[in-house]
Amino acid sequence: MGNAAKRASLYMILLGLWSGSAGLVFASPGEMPEDAQAQADGFLQRYCSRCHNEERFAGYWALVDVDLHAIARGEQLEAWEKILRMTRDGDMPPPLRKKQPSPDDRAQFAAWLQGQLDGYSARHPHPGHSALRRLNRAEYANAVRDLLGVDLVEASSLPADDSGYGFDNIADVLTVSSTLMDRYFAVAGRVSRLALGVDPAAPARTGYQVPKDGSILNQGVPSFNERSSGALPIDSRGGGAFEYYAPHAGYYELAGFLNANTNNEVDRLPENRYAQQIWLDAGPHTLGMSFRRELGLDESVQTLRNTTDIVPMPVASPALTTLDFVVDGARVASANVPTFHESPRFAQKNFLRDVLQIEVEGPLPTPDLEATRAASARELPSREAILRCRPGRGARAEQRCAKRILRPLLRRAYRRPATAEDLASIMKVFTAARAQSDFDEAIATAVQALLVAPRFLFVVEDTPPGLAPGTPHRVTDTEFATRLALFLWSSGPDDELLSLAQRQRLRRPRILRAQVARMLDDERAAALTENFAGQWLFLRNLDYHRADVEAYPDFDVRLRAAMREETERFFAAVVREDRSLLDFLKADYSFLNERLATHYGLEGVYGPAFRRVALPATAQRGGLLGQASLLTLTSYGNHTSVVRRGQWILDALLAAPPPPAPPDVPALVAERSGRALTARQQLELHRAKPACASCHVKMDPLGLALEGFDAIGASRSEFAGQAIDLRASLPDGTTFEGLPGLQTVLLARRDQFLRAFTEQLMIYALGRGIQPQDRPTIRAIAADAAADGYRAQQVLLGIINSYAFNHRRSPES
Amino acid sequence: MKRPRPLSRRGVLRGAGVTLALPWLPSLAGASTNTHTAPRPPQRLSIFYLPNGMRMDSFRPARTGTGFELPPILQPLAPLRERINVVTGLAHANAQPLGDPGGAHGRSCASFLTGAHPKPTEGSDLRCGVSMDQVAAAHLGTDTAFDSLQLGIEPSSLLGSCDIGFSCTYTNTLSWRSPTQALPVMVSPREVFERLFGDAAAVDPASRARLFDRRRSILDFVIGDAARLGGSLAASDRHKLEEYLTAVRDVEQRVQRLAGQDLRWVSEEITLPPGIPADFATHVALMIDLQVLALQTGLTRVATFMLGRELSNRAYPEIGVPDAHHSLSHHGGDPTKVAKLVKISRFHIAQLVYLLRKLQDTRDGEGTLLDSTIVLAGASLGEPNDHDCMDLPALVAGGGLPGDRHLALPRHTPMSNLMLTLLQRLGAPVDTFGDSTGTLQQLDAAEAGRGLA
Repeated sequence: MGNAAKRASLYMILLGLWSGSAGLVFASPGEMPEDAQAQADGFLQRYCSRCHNEERFAGYWALVDVDLHAIARGEQLEAWEKILRMTRDGDMPPPLRKKQPSPDDRAQFAAWLQGQLDGYSARHPHPGHSALRRLNRAEYANAVRDLLGVDLVEASSLPADDSGYGFDNIADVLTVSSTLMDRYFAVAGRVSRLALGVDPAAPARTGYQVPKDGSILNQGVPSFNERSSGALPIDSRGGGAFEYYAPHAGYYELAGFLNANTNNEVDRLPENRYAQQIWLDAGPHTLGMSFRRELGLDESVQTLRNTTDIVPMPVASPALTTLDFVVDGARVASANVPTFHESPRFAQKNFLRDVLQIEVEGPLPTPDLEATRAASARELPSREAILRCRPGRGARAEQRCAKRILRPLLRRAYRRPATAEDLASIMKVFTAARAQSDFDEAIATAVQALLVAPRFLFVVEDTPPGLAPGTPHRVTDTEFATRLALFLWSSGPDDELLSLAQRQRLRRPRILRAQVARMLDDERAAALTENFAGQWLFLRNLDYHRADVEAYPDFDVRLRAAMREETERFFAAVVREDRSLLDFLKADYSFLNERLATHYGLEGVYGPAFRRVALPATAQRGGLLGQASLLTLTSYGNHTSVVRRGQWILDALLAAPPPPAPPDVPALVAERSGRALTARQQLELHRAKPACASCHVKMDPLGLALEGFDAIGASRSEFAGQAIDLRASLPDGTTFEGLPGLQTVLLARRDQFLRAFTEQLMIYALGRGIQPQDRPTIRAIAADAAADGYRAQQVLLGIINSYAFNHRRSPES
Repeated sequence: MKRPRPLSRRGVLRGAGVTLALPWLPSLAGASTNTHTAPRPPQRLSIFYLPNGMRMDSFRPARTGTGFELPPILQPLAPLRERINVVTGLAHANAQPLGDPGGAHGRSCASFLTGAHPKPTEGSDLRCGVSMDQVAAAHLGTDTAFDSLQLGIEPSSLLGSCDIGFSCTYTNTLSWRSPTQALPVMVSPREVFERLFGDAAAVDPASRARLFDRRRSILDFVIGDAARLGGSLAASDRHKLEEYLTAVRDVEQRVQRLAGQDLRWVSEEITLPPGIPADFATHVALMIDLQVLALQTGLTRVATFMLGRELSNRAYPEIGVPDAHHSLSHHGGDPTKVAKLVKISRFHIAQLVYLLRKLQDTRDGEGTLLDSTIVLAGASLGEPNDHDCMDLPALVAGGGLPGDRHLALPRHTPMSNLMLTLLQRLGAPVDTFGDSTGTLQQLDAAEAGRGLA
C-alpha cells in the first residue's frame, strides 16, 4: 500500500472516530451534512463574530470572508488552519473574554474542523512546491569532504547563504551569485589540488586567532590555568590548538604571539612572537601551543582593576616559563619565555602569559623540497583513495585509467550512476588539462570541474517522461537517497545508500529503518545538530552574543562555547538515543564540563571535557529552558528580558509566535520615584496599556518564571535588591512558579510542542516552507510519535515516510 | 557513533570568529508562522573618506534646495543626484589647533569621525575619541562576523610621511574603538578577501595564466553540463540555472581580466604588498566590491573606506595629474594647480559614484542595498590651502533618505551634529556625539514633505 493510500485510510478511520465522539454525522468525506455545518457555523457565530465582523474587523478579517465549504474545494485552507490552531490551543476566543465555549464544545469544534482539513488533504495528496535546490555552504563543504575523503572546506569560508522560514537550506532562497561562484571555483581548485597533493610547494602562512577575551577591563575570568583544548597535553594550560592541513611534508615554522600583558590585550608585538621549526607529514594535523599547568601558581595575577589611564607597573622582574609547541597532541619543541612582557610604558602583569595568535608557515624552502614533495604526496590517504589506478604508458592507457578514477567520483558527485555522456564530458576537461600538465594535475583539474558542476551544486530531480505538468510523482530511489542524506547528514549519499537505491531497495521499510539508524549513528549526523538545532533553537546566534563584561565578568568565549556544546550534545543525545522529545521540556540529565557545572553551582564535575551528568532534583536545571545557552541568547548583554524569553518559548517551542510589536511601542519604564523597578513591575505597567496587553499576557508569564536565571543563565534570587518573585499566571488563570512550574505548563501543551517541533523539522527536511496542505501530515506525524512515547526518531521517520518527502510535482511548464 | 573529537574543527573556527551571519531576506518575512526572519533589513553605514581636503569653491552648489546645478567636482554624481544630499556649513571646532602646535592634517583626520581634539603625540600615548562608525558598530555589529570593516587604499606604515607632531595613526585611520584604540585599515584586496573568506590566490602572471587556462576548460564543461540539464527543468528552475551561468561567466571574465596581470607590482615611490592592483581605480573598485560584498552578505554592517590616507601624496597620471596630491593641495592660488586639484577631487567623486551604483544595483530585501545603507562621504578639511576645518564638505546618500538636496546649514554647524543625526537614524541609542549641540532637523524636515524613499 502506498503512502498516500495508507494515510488516506488512516484519515478515514480517524474521521469516523471524530464524528462519533463529536456527535456529528457525516455522509461521506467532502460532503457536508447540514447539521454538522450548522453546528460549526453556530460555534463560529457564537464565539468569533463579536470581534471578527466587518465592523470591528479584529485581526483584519471578518467571519463573512471565510466559508466552511471552501475547504472541500481546497480553498482558504490557510485561514481554516489558523482558526483551528487558535481555537484548539485555547488562544481564541481571547482567554480574558467572559464568553468561552465549554471544553467539550471547543474540542468538538476543533476535532470536526480538523477532520475536514485532514480529509481534504488525504483526498488530495500534495507534495508541495519543489524548486531546484542548490547545496548550501554546509552541504557543499560536507559533500566535498565525503567525495574526496578529506575535510578541507570550512563552510564559513564560503559566502553565507540566505535563509527563509528560519533555515538556510530553503531551495527557493538559495541563489547563485558571481561571488559565490568565485568562491566555489577557488575552493574547488584548492581542495582538488590538496587532496591529490599536486599543489606547488610554495610556503604559505596560515593564522589562527586563539579564542580569548575577558580582558577588556582587566577583569573577567581568564581561564588561563585551564587546559584549553583536548588536543593539547593533559597537564597544559592556556594557548590553543587548531586543525591544519599540511599540503606537503616538510619543515614548517610554528609561531605564536604571546599577550603583551598590557591593559589592552590586542597587541601583536614582534618581540612577543616565539617561533620554532617543526616537521609535518603531509595531511591533516592538530597544531597548538600551550604552557605547563601550574598546580601552585608562581605567576602572580594582579586583580587590581585598571583604567586605560592608570597602568600599574610590575613590582618584580619576570621569571622564565615554558612555552610548548604541540603537534597532534605531543610536545615537539619548547621555548623559555618571560612570565610577562616588559616595556617602558605598558608593562604590567595582570594576566598569566598566554597565546593570542598562532601562525604556521611552510613548507620552508629546502634544497630537496620538490623531491620531498613528490615523495610525500604519494602517501596522502585522500590521494590513494582517489587514484584507483596508475596509468600505463601511452595516451590510451591514460584515458582508461582516468575513466576508472573519474567514474566513481561522478557517481558520488552527481548522486546517481554516471552516464556515458557524463563521463565523456568530464574526460574532455581531463584531456585538455593533460595537454598542459601531468596526469595527476589533470585529474585534479577534472575534480575541480566536478566540484563546480551544476549537477553537483544543484540537487537535480528528473521528471518522468510524458508526465503532464503539475502532476505529483514519486521521486526515484536515488533522488530519495539524496533527500535523505541532505536531511540527516547535510551531505550527499554515500556508496551504501546509492547502491541500495540503485537496486530499488532503499525504501523497503525494514531497510530504510536500518539505514536511518545507521545514518544517525554516523559521525556525519552531527550536521543535523549543527544545522537543524543550531537554527531551530537560534543556537547559532550565541556565537555573536557578547555579555556586558562589567555586569557579567564570568562570561567569556570558553563559557559561551561550553553553553553551546551542552545544548548540542543534549539535542544529539535525544535524537541518537531515540529518547522522548519531551526531554527538551524537562530532563534529569545534561552534558556539562567543570566550567559550566560551576556556572550552574553544581559540584563534582572536573576538567574541560564534557560528560553526561545526572541532575539532582534541586538543581533547577534540565530541559532546554534550564540551559545557559538559551537563557543567554534570549537575554540582552546586560540584563534579562522576560519578553524575549517568553517570545522565544512561544515561537520556537510552541510555534505560536506573537505578532510583531507595533511600531509605536512604548519603552519599559525602568524606575519610578528614583527606585529601580523589577522586570515584573515594569511589565505590569506595560500590560496596563490595552494595546500591549493582548500579546504580553501570553509572553510575560513564561518569561517571568525564568527570572531566577540571570542574563548568562546563572541562578539568582534577587534583582535590584529585591527578592525575585517567580510566580506567574497564564491568561486562563493557571498559576505556576519558576522553571518547574513552567515545565509543567509546557508539558500540559506537549502535543502542541510536538507539532511545533515536527513543523520545524519538516521545513528543514523538505527545504521549503510549510504550506497549509502539510499541516494534516504534521498532525499525523506528531500524533503517531505521541502514541509511541514521543520518541525522536519516530518524528524523523514520519517525515522521511511522508508523502511530501517522497514525491514532487512535475514542472508547470 | 564514533566519539566526537574533543576539539572540533568547527569549534576552533567558531572561536576564531569566522562564522558568518545570515543576511536578511524580504520575500519570506511574515510568509510563515515562523518569525526567525527579521522584520526589516538591517541598517548599514558606509563612510567614504576623501583625503587632503576639498576645494569648496568647486564643491558647494550655488543654490540650496533641490534642482541646483552641480558644481564641477560633483558632476560625476549627476546620474545619482536623486539620491544625494550635499551638506555644507559644517565644521569641526575640535580640529582647530586650540593652542596645540602644527599638525593640521593629523588633527583634522583624527577628529573627522570622532569630533574629538586629538592629543598631539608621536608616541604611543594616543588619545582621540570614539569614532562615529564605532558607535554605530557597537549598535549594529553585535551579531555580525565583523562589527566593522576598515578599508583603505594606501598602506599605513609609511614612515616619515605623517604629520609633524602627530603619530601616523592619526592620519592612517578614521576608526577609534576607544579614545586610545585606533583600528588599522586594510588596503590589500587579498587581505580583505582572506579576512572575509580566507583563501590564498596566485599572484604571479604565470600562475594566473595557468589558472585561467584551467578554468577555461572547466567553463566549457560546466556550460555544456548546464545546457544538457536545462532542457528538463521547469521555467523557474531554468532561471536558477541561468543565474548560475551568469555567475560562471562573471568568474570567467574576472579571471580573464586578472589573468595576465602581474600583481607583484612595485612602484618606485611606495612598496605595495602582493595582490594590490597597480591601477588606482581598479584597486578602489576591488575594495568597494569587497565592501559591498561584506555588507551584502551580512558579514558586517559598518564599513569605513579611505580613498587615501590623509596627507596622501599619490599622483594620478592616468587622469593627467602626475603631481603629488598633498603638494597640489597647497596650491597657493595657482590656477593650474587648482585645476589639477579639482580634477583629482572629481576623479575621487567618480569612485564614490562607483560605490553608490554598486549599492544601488545590489538587491537587499525588497529594495536595494543603498536603501538600507547610509553613505556619508566627506573630507576632514575644506579649502586645503588654508587647512580650513570650519567649512567642511559632506555628502549623504541612501539609508532611506530623500536626495537631490543642497542643505546649506548655518555656518559652523558642528559636524558632530550630522554624525549624531545619522547615528540616530541607524537606531543607535545616543543623544550626544563628539561635540554635538543637537541634531540636524533639516535632514528629517524635508522627509515629512517628500516621504521616505
